[in-house]
Amino acid sequence: MAIKLKRMWPEYNLNSSYDAVIIGGGIHGCATAYYLAKDQGMKNIAVIEKNCIGYGGSGRNTAIVRANQRTQSNLRLHKEGIELWPQLTCELDFNLMFNQSGHLSLAHSEATIGAFRINVSSAQLSGVDCKFIDAEECRELVPALSLSRDITHPVCGGIYSPPGGVLRHDAVIWGLARGASSHGVHIHQGVEVTGIDVVDHKIQGVTTSKGKIKTPKVIVAGGAYSVQLAEMIGIKLPIHPLTIQAMVTQPLKPFLNLALSSGAYDIYITQTLKGEIATGAHMDEAPNFTSSVTSICLKHQAQMLTELLPCMKGARFMRIWGGLADMAPDMAPIIFGNDEIEGFFFNGAWGYYGFKSGPIVGKYMAQFVATDVTPHHLEQFTNKRFARFRYTGERAVPAQIGPWN
Amino acid sequence: MVTITCPICGKRSQKEFRYGNEDVGPMPDETDLTPEKYLEYLYSNGNHTGIQKEWWCHVKGCGTWFIIERDTRTNLQVSSGDVK
Repeated sequence: MAIKLKRMWPEYNLNSSYDAVIIGGGIHGCATAYYLAKDQGMKNIAVIEKNCIGYGGSGRNTAIVRANQRTQSNLRLHKEGIELWPQLTCELDFNLMFNQSGHLSLAHSEATIGAFRINVSSAQLSGVDCKFIDAEECRELVPALSLSRDITHPVCGGIYSPPGGVLRHDAVIWGLARGASSHGVHIHQGVEVTGIDVVDHKIQGVTTSKGKIKTPKVIVAGGAYSVQLAEMIGIKLPIHPLTIQAMVTQPLKPFLNLALSSGAYDIYITQTLKGEIATGAHMDEAPNFTSSVTSICLKHQAQMLTELLPCMKGARFMRIWGGLADMAPDMAPIIFGNDEIEGFFFNGAWGYYGFKSGPIVGKYMAQFVATDVTPHHLEQFTNKRFARFRYTGERAVPAQIGPWN
Repeated sequence: MVTITCPICGKRSQKEFRYGNEDVGPMPDETDLTPEKYLEYLYSNGNHTGIQKEWWCHVKGCGTWFIIERDTRTNLQVSSGDVK
């Protein structure tokens, strides 16, 4: 007897018009669609995805969520984001595998300790549980951690943020897409947007590989390809697409029960619920669209892993992959809308921190698109901040040098 | 990209070099220079699908600055470097 498979979301033909079109079927695109349909009552909308849902960064990240950023504008957003996950699991009726195990970011020098003091102060001011701990306490949290002084960057301490955790990235993107679709959103996969039509500084519609769509609102959430989408209507943005690589080892017995990251080593490590050690962070410096992997990265990660967690010696890497991180100069996203072009909304430059903010930003973007007024939570991320020299202070600088917020 | 051909040292590992942004010509003229124009010159580059001319510096080698052409779709150098 054959098992009847049910599609997670039905396929539709492309309508000739929609109330809003979201370009990009990743976590930000689907979250925006979900909240537009659920909270804002805009159900006649479409998500246009060139490949398949979650093909880009949404399906390639290591799914760490945390609220230990440096700036008020980011903390505000990410604190609400973390609180949203249990709620979302219930709403979407999908097991997102949210494991709120905590996040530990290691410090390897005096300068880092100074920078971390700002992180902790900002976090505590925003009501996020985050504290500075010394090396011994780090080892209590991670018994496998090496406190040897003979490694490249010996551990001096760290910031421990209990609200952080990990999820299953596939579950989140599929759950959001299914949720959006159940509220009436049309999800179109395998359709490429080839043009955005603007007349008199107003959005008229989009041209796709399967026909033209008339719409008054276009939301670009296309990850690394967002810049070229914005360029279609003459908007130039300061974003570089950089290949970032990640990998998993064979499944191992549980020995790491929080998300560990290290700036000096440029590495983040988690143990998935299946036991694999998921790690990554190496980013290319030259922009490219390949998302290809290199053996240099594999060797570097193995070296760093075995220095920090010596028990990993002998474990095998199972799989390595790459994705595109669209980076802005100040390591913060670029979100704006209804600026020079009425009806055009942009949500991008999420780099390697896009996953953790997906649903919460989707919620506020939906509010933005429906009301045409920038929500307070997204104000800081306007593209105009660069010309006003109000960069988001996410790059760590030593404590005695400002500005940082 | 795994290797870059330095015009002086020859083919070396990419790890020895530092990316110096797309070749967008000299800085814009100071008359009528707004922050927007300056920032566009500084940051809004290097995002094309296709062959891109860009600067690299051989920091762990001879220290020369040179331009190469690289295809961003394959991340491979497509022309040899010229000393600039």
